[in-house]
Amino acid sequence: MADGPLIVQSDKSLLLEVDHPRAADARRAIAPFAELERAPEHIHTYRLTSLGLWNARAAGHDAEQVVDTLIEYSRYPVPHALLVDVAEIMARYGRLQLQKHPTHGLVLTATDKAVLTEVLRSRRTAGLVGDRIDEAAVVVHPSQRGHLKQVLVKLGWPAEDLAGYVDGEAHPIALTPVTTPRAPGEEPREWAPRPYQAQAVEGFWHGGSGVVVLPCGAGKTIVGAGAMARAGTTTLILVTNTVSARQWRDELVRRTTLTEDEIGEYSGAKKEIKPVTIATYQVLTTKRKGVYTHLELLDARDWGLVLYDEVHLLPAPIFRMTADLQARRRLGLTATLVREDGKEDEVFSLIGPKRFDAPWKDIEAQGYIAPADCVEVRLTLPESERMAYATAEPEDKYRLAASVPGKNRVVETLVARHPDDQVLVIGQYVDQLEELAAHLDAPLITGATTVRERQRLFAAFRTGDISRLVVSKVANFSVDLPEASVAIQVSGAFGSRQEEAQRLGRIMRPKEDGRTAHFYAVVARDTVDQDFAAHRQRFLAEQGYAYRIVDAEDLLAA
Amino acid sequence: MGGMASSLHEAPASATRQFAEDLRQRSDTALVALLRARGDLAVPAPATLRSLAARASSHTSLERALAQVDALVLQVVEAVTALGRFPREDVPHALGAAVPDSALPSAAARRQIDDAVEAAVTAALLWDDGGALHPSPGLDEVFGHYPAGLGPVRGETTDTDRPLTDRLRATPPEQRAVLEALAWGPPVGRVPPSGTRQREAVDELVGHGLLARADAQHVLLTREVGLALRGGRTHRAPALRPEPTGRAVPAETVAAESASAALELVRRVSVLRSAWSDDPPRVLRSGGLGVRDLRRLAARLECDEEAAAFVAELAAEAGLIRDDGEVDPSFVPLDVAWSELDDADRWAVLARAWVSSHRTPWRVGTRDEGGALRSALSPDLERGWAPRLRAAVLRVLGSSGNALPPDDVVAVLTWEAPRNAPPSTAVRGLLAEASWLGLTGAGAMSPPGRALLADVPDEPIADALRGVLPPEVGEILLQGDLTGVVPGRPSRELASLVEIAADTESRGAATTVRFSAASVTRALDRGRSADDLLAALARHSPVPVPQPLEYLVRDTARRHGAVRVGVASSYLRAADEVTLAGLEHDPALAHLRLVRLAPTVLVSSAPPALLHETLRERGVVSALEGPDGRVLDVRHRRPEDPRGPRPPAARPARTIAHGARGGTDAGPPVRSQPDLSALVAGLRAADDDAHASEPDTARPGDAARPPAPPPPSGTDAGTDPGTQPHADGLALLREAVRDGLLVRVDVVGAAGKLERRTLRPLRLDGGRLRAVDPARDAEITVAVHRVARVAALDDGP
Repeated sequence: MADGPLIVQSDKSLLLEVDHPRAADARRAIAPFAELERAPEHIHTYRLTSLGLWNARAAGHDAEQVVDTLIEYSRYPVPHALLVDVAEIMARYGRLQLQKHPTHGLVLTATDKAVLTEVLRSRRTAGLVGDRIDEAAVVVHPSQRGHLKQVLVKLGWPAEDLAGYVDGEAHPIALTPVTTPRAPGEEPREWAPRPYQAQAVEGFWHGGSGVVVLPCGAGKTIVGAGAMARAGTTTLILVTNTVSARQWRDELVRRTTLTEDEIGEYSGAKKEIKPVTIATYQVLTTKRKGVYTHLELLDARDWGLVLYDEVHLLPAPIFRMTADLQARRRLGLTATLVREDGKEDEVFSLIGPKRFDAPWKDIEAQGYIAPADCVEVRLTLPESERMAYATAEPEDKYRLAASVPGKNRVVETLVARHPDDQVLVIGQYVDQLEELAAHLDAPLITGATTVRERQRLFAAFRTGDISRLVVSKVANFSVDLPEASVAIQVSGAFGSRQEEAQRLGRIMRPKEDGRTAHFYAVVARDTVDQDFAAHRQRFLAEQGYAYRIVDAEDLLAA
Repeated sequence: MGGMASSLHEAPASATRQFAEDLRQRSDTALVALLRARGDLAVPAPATLRSLAARASSHTSLERALAQVDALVLQVVEAVTALGRFPREDVPHALGAAVPDSALPSAAARRQIDDAVEAAVTAALLWDDGGALHPSPGLDEVFGHYPAGLGPVRGETTDTDRPLTDRLRATPPEQRAVLEALAWGPPVGRVPPSGTRQREAVDELVGHGLLARADAQHVLLTREVGLALRGGRTHRAPALRPEPTGRAVPAETVAAESASAALELVRRVSVLRSAWSDDPPRVLRSGGLGVRDLRRLAARLECDEEAAAFVAELAAEAGLIRDDGEVDPSFVPLDVAWSELDDADRWAVLARAWVSSHRTPWRVGTRDEGGALRSALSPDLERGWAPRLRAAVLRVLGSSGNALPPDDVVAVLTWEAPRNAPPSTAVRGLLAEASWLGLTGAGAMSPPGRALLADVPDEPIADALRGVLPPEVGEILLQGDLTGVVPGRPSRELASLVEIAADTESRGAATTVRFSAASVTRALDRGRSADDLLAALARHSPVPVPQPLEYLVRDTARRHGAVRVGVASSYLRAADEVTLAGLEHDPALAHLRLVRLAPTVLVSSAPPALLHETLRERGVVSALEGPDGRVLDVRHRRPEDPRGPRPPAARPARTIAHGARGGTDAGPPVRSQPDLSALVAGLRAADDDAHASEPDTARPGDAARPPAPPPPSGTDAGTDPGTQPHADGLALLREAVRDGLLVRVDVVGAAGKLERRTLRPLRLDGGRLRAVDPARDAEITVAVHRVARVAALDDGP
């Protein structure tokens, strides 16, 4: 194809020209095997990775299809070495298989004996496998199924998991066509899953286990509900905090045939085990005298489905614990699969490959999330503060720069510019937030605020009784505030890309009147605050959210 | 093969004489062809046809000739050497070329074998008496005891009434097994322990004369029996020219990969030049580039060390970098017109330099005999055979339209000269170089590669590269995440813009770059202003420059230069600003170049002692501050433009002797050829004279014509084909060994006196003659260089 939309680089990145007439076709064609890395305005970057190619194999695509697709959409001849490499990488998948053996239980078998010997000689597989049955098979400890798969991926010989999933205890669940009201004054409404939500559920179900990546506000809970309805089994849902647990419960009652009695909460406060149980990560990782005391939850029922909300936050101990759940279907949900610890791959190998991913801007274009305007306000520090900053200890610099008093006036001005909006002010440092709350005369929610108080304030914010709310990082995730349309960030967790994205996510629910959401990041110029801000913005910038930069002086003068 | 007219027991007549006679019978054209095929015979020019024949049958010359022939010619020569006098038409059979069912070789095999025979005859490795082929004298020595794995000739076998084939057919299975094991060589077998069945079989065979005892431990399969077992063949199958098919690659892919490799190489050379002009690496004392510098270069070029060594070597070969010849020498870029050339012309400079290069960069990082690491740019990477092998590799690649795997190229080159096969590492190294140069793309020869191979005058090879380069793109798509994408090959202007102002993240068909504070600073360092940079970006961008990028540039520019660094040799400080103001503007102190840095500080480029003194003279009572914990830099550094031309070297470059070739389209060097026709005419004339004066050519050794004046002492007679009369003497000795003749030898004694002896030579090797002196009935050994004259006596056995 002489004029294709795709440029295939020899470093395995694929550049897709967005405005090309065939861009949409090309995007669809490469999606099964290429990872979307960046999606800014003009050129989207995809990458071919071993994991992505193996996932494509697992989903039934072969090397020939991949090669044909690249050649068909490529503008220039595709580098030969890359094509050879693709074929070689894909040929590595499936030489090893995990299977059920009538007498030995779970076994690892090989179509290529040398490969089996090679992986068994690695120190990494020691302890994960048992006796060798014959030249081409070895017993696998069922509890190590997940760990073994992870190790095999690292060794470059991914196993095809043919051992299947347990069905779990049946428990009929269906989506209702009309919502069941949950809040006072809420009216029943007709609804149906959006096309991309249905696609995500199908993608997951077809693959068996895996991760669905959708932007904040795009309705991941509904994807979860859809998966539960598709499975029709008892379900364990793992979430980040209690508020989020209650939101899940409300959404499930609202949109499925499940009643409140069928849904249990397993948290610090309550220990209910019901056919659908929602547990927090925190309670699962609680240790008493060196042992995890709530592990029995995992075996309390014959779960047919395990849901991981905000899977990018999955703490390391849960990785290990839930490795035992490899025989059960697992669905991970996230908006931002970027981890500053670089453990994205572990998520993939333990939960499963990415089954669905949509660029944020695509969903925005379809009108399912609000268009957002991102602005970075750069504040030039006065001489005295610059001197204080210049002489501060390195470990104090960020805190000092992030909570400079000058930011207060900027926030006030910004708030004043949005008199009719529901405004969130988000920050990291409690004293800074207290000061701001006092300035703005707005309520403050921090980690110290009780769950009841939090829920009361969130509810009041939702109904519009309060229009300004100052929140700490407790509101980073899983807090559903549909009417919030302005967020002002004054400080954050250093350079965390996903925190930035999650905070933007707070205001991305589509508004009744189709209003644009506004996200402001107030940054101190020429300090580490600015450097961290640049890093924080990277994920969103790569998703196509170009930040506009405004000088604080101009803003204050206007 | 009873019907075959092989003659293993040729009468011990003088083969040398017959060989010389054959040469004499050859036409002038044939002689020219011979001299062309075996260049060593013509230099220095032989005086007579007879000395030509002697030289042609010398060990050295034969070795040299065999080193040049391909595997099939070698087989033919070996077969005839093993078989002795042998009919030409039976050669295909002897080589095992018969197609299984028809007992006839395929036409193609037949043609190749015929050509091989012709080549062997042309090169005088064989000669044809009209009916049969004969090996050149001396070949049996070259092939050793067991040519083609066949044992020695034994004249007699017992039970001669029955034909050999019948007797072999009649051998019982155990004996048959022993014979089969030895049939295809080596023909020597160990005698099994006594009492075993195998031992019985072996004893039986010896008894029947089918095996011969070599010594107490070993038995030999004689040549006759071996040949009979092989069905009259010397080889299982003819070594026909390998025809590798390779792997088909689409032409566009070849062109695209060739172009991208060529551009990448040109880019790397440019990066190397700029890196080394900023920070020239030291030349090692042994010559060459240190390991750490090579590693640094590889990191800078974003490639492995192997590729980096190649880039450095090629740049040196093309005269783009050199040893600066300073006392403490460094490698520096040479000020040549590189920057004015476009990509294709730059590539042509590199490709030309490569073809004729004597360098072997793939050996960088290996160790020499002494265990020392070979370094890039060091003199010991020089190898005379390198250009020849480069040409050979290109030729093999060019013989196929497909991509040839390295093993196949090695196989073809090994077939072409099995006794002088290039090391496979060298071939692989050259294949890698060819791909870095873009002479191949995806493993198949590319159009630029073909242009370089054909090297047609008036068709610059740069044009061949231009033919495959993708069109230039003058556009960069700037994006809000501070990246930019050039969706194709950037134009020169755009390439230099992104090279200085951004960091490249991905290179290939397109280039993706990222702008950062560091990259923008780099551009500002090169003297660009923020406005200038933004304007340049806007000019190349079809969309407005994204605001975050604009802020990045402006914010960086605002901070750029906020802290400044300069050079001063001394300072002057005072609490009183007025004093300093007075000094700064004092015309009598102008030569001190006082500059006010702050109200209370002046700096000067004069050394502190001078400053101090001048001030004193001026009546200012200054005090000189000692280092006092602070470093006072009094050294004066010669300011130098880091990228400017270096002063010409005071002495020639040490490591890159052939460095500055610089020429762009100079053709490959032509080896000067002696005028062979004139040479042959001269030989013919000399020969006619000899005939006129002495018709009896069969007796060369009488006193009137001393055949072998003594060679200069210390010269190894066996390896010097240049002293032909001596070779003549050697030929006589060799003939005497072969035929068991007596010769009269004049030996230079220990005291330098000539001693005449009559000897029966037994062996001639390693520069020594072993012979029996029948008069004293003793065996003696004489160093060949002490043999002054040899003459044949006619009283043979």
